[in-house]
Amino acid sequence: MNRYLTRENAIRWAPLMVLIGLVILFTAINPAFFSQRNFARITVAAAPALMVAIGVTFIIVMGSIDLSMEGTVGLTAVLFCFLFLATGGTLAVGGWVAMPLILLLGAAIGFVNGLVHVKLRIPSFMASLAIGFVGTGAAVLVTGGDIVKIDDDTFRALLTWRIAGFPLMVYVVGGFVLLAWFIQSHTTLGRNFYAVGGGEELAHASGLNVRRVRIMGFVLAGMFYAVAGILQVAKLGQAESVSGANFMFISITSVVVGGVALWGGIGGVWNTVVGVLIVNVINNGMVVIGLPDFLQDGVLGLLVIVAVVLSTDRRSISFVK
Amino acid sequence: MSTFIKDFIERETLSRRNFLFASAAGLTTAAMPGVFGGGMARAATDPALAWSYRDRASAYWNSIVSGGEAFTESLGKPKDAMTSLINEGSSEKSLADIKAFLAKNNGACAIACDANDSPNARPVAEAAQAAGGYVSTIWNKTDDAHPWDFGDNWVSHMSWSDEKPAEETARILFEAMGGKGGVVHLGGIAANNPAIERLNGLKNALKDYPDIELLDAQPADWDTTKAAELMASFLTKYGDKITGVHCANDNIAYGVMEALKAEGIEGMPIVAYDGNPEAVQMVMDGDLLATVFTNPHWGGGITLALAYHAAIGTFKPSEEPNEHREFYGPTILVTAKDAADFKAKYLDNVPSYDWTDFWGPSNGPIVYK
Repeated sequence: MNRYLTRENAIRWAPLMVLIGLVILFTAINPAFFSQRNFARITVAAAPALMVAIGVTFIIVMGSIDLSMEGTVGLTAVLFCFLFLATGGTLAVGGWVAMPLILLLGAAIGFVNGLVHVKLRIPSFMASLAIGFVGTGAAVLVTGGDIVKIDDDTFRALLTWRIAGFPLMVYVVGGFVLLAWFIQSHTTLGRNFYAVGGGEELAHASGLNVRRVRIMGFVLAGMFYAVAGILQVAKLGQAESVSGANFMFISITSVVVGGVALWGGIGGVWNTVVGVLIVNVINNGMVVIGLPDFLQDGVLGLLVIVAVVLSTDRRSISFVK
Repeated sequence: MSTFIKDFIERETLSRRNFLFASAAGLTTAAMPGVFGGGMARAATDPALAWSYRDRASAYWNSIVSGGEAFTESLGKPKDAMTSLINEGSSEKSLADIKAFLAKNNGACAIACDANDSPNARPVAEAAQAAGGYVSTIWNKTDDAHPWDFGDNWVSHMSWSDEKPAEETARILFEAMGGKGGVVHLGGIAANNPAIERLNGLKNALKDYPDIELLDAQPADWDTTKAAELMASFLTKYGDKITGVHCANDNIAYGVMEALKAEGIEGMPIVAYDGNPEAVQMVMDGDLLATVFTNPHWGGGITLALAYHAAIGTFKPSEEPNEHREFYGPTILVTAKDAADFKAKYLDNVPSYDWTDFWGPSNGPIVYK
């Protein structure tokens, strides 16, 4: 067998192959799909979801799960709008202050999430779900169910200002992806996520402070959710308590489709990038090729299964639960 | 499930305890109809008030609740005298909450309710009848269930017919398009009744405009984010062929406008539905051609008022004609020329309504096809 054509390599590149295959398929049916304008539309749709998915990737790599994203995104988006308006209502005057503050808030929510999980010994599934509900509830409380709008043209340049045909927010997301990749590959914390996900007892026995790594993971995830919250406002010009709706499904599906294993230790940031693109290409492509709407949910489900089958190495595990 | 079991136990415990207390006090005979049903309608002097609805995360339900509270205050009570029973989109919770509320108050209740989905209206009415309470419903009920089949206890049902107003907004849209071109429709959740009616309205108007083509109609699930993404995909598929957009509600229109803004497309004719304050402002600014207001504040107040006045015996529902028990709520078309007046009248100052004018602003009996 060719040195490059190993089973391992095939699995590593499978998600990207699936993505390219989908692009070819949709283009063959409707050539309008393959245009720079459409790719810009897909990346704008994917931008906030990608930030959420990258946040949860760190947690999934540790073998835990985080379901707090909808509440965290909703609350950070709403509070971002309030802060932005309170500090001048425009980026140029004082609105920029809202950005670092909201990132800190995201980190704080993640910190509480991690503490509840680690200190109270509540499974991450339940702890994060509960924190997510608290977040949504808090967002309803501060908005009273209303919509908060931001009309500042400077801030909205994230959506309207284009470089080489792609809106500014796509480049911002690109920057955060590089940051996430750097944390994953070039920091002790990043490597420790894999140590915990690959074998927690072993990591603990080797002297690693597993609890601290877990809490740090949730802090990092919370920060990325806050970035998603800000981008969601940039994309829609408004925030409401349900601004985070659907992110749970789309982010976890994307992470798994991209080849990150739910049992931890396998995959990483690039898998997630490809996974988010796959899900968004499917969503966009189904409309562009004119698939009837009543078939779309079913087809999305089938394509997700196919993508997971192709992109995860199921031979290396003895059972799936 | 656990809350369901918990609620169930709580409810059963409550009714048993009430029964024991009542027996001990020698009031068994009086309490019997309340606890064991029989549907005997008794006038209560001061019924407990409740509104059962989906959630507080939307402008629409907040407005409904504000109407219920305004009515409660008109009785000289604090607004928290009205209990909110929030079902969070669960019909089981909706029914369990209502049964618990009936049991807690021995049936002396006036409840306003959106049963969350159509089949749930019947068990809600049955629960009210069994406990001797009074319930008025809005939006959801099946076509074969009617208030007059439940004696006095299912006081009334109000719904809104969206087909005609959606047709009117479509006509305004087509005129703005110059009577030709391509239109796309972004709808609500496909199985929702209002979503179906609003699309039908568009299709009715299309018959009179042969030069306008309906390019596509797909659900955006009442959601701003989904609408923005769907509109972007439509732009890829149809490009310049799209010369007008028909949206099933205001939230969808917000998403459509952002998708167009991202592409630098300006001046696209768009119509919406619901008459939320933000949308009315957009109509005034010329970003939106029209929206439709269903006056949820009045709906929220009058629905509770009907249940309350039936409960205290102001009128006897079974003696009222059918059109007073099943009727359409008001719809008001908001366009550029009347948006400012509309805003001043309905949004800047909430009008004070006569909560005993039960049927004045309503819109005729419900018609079944």
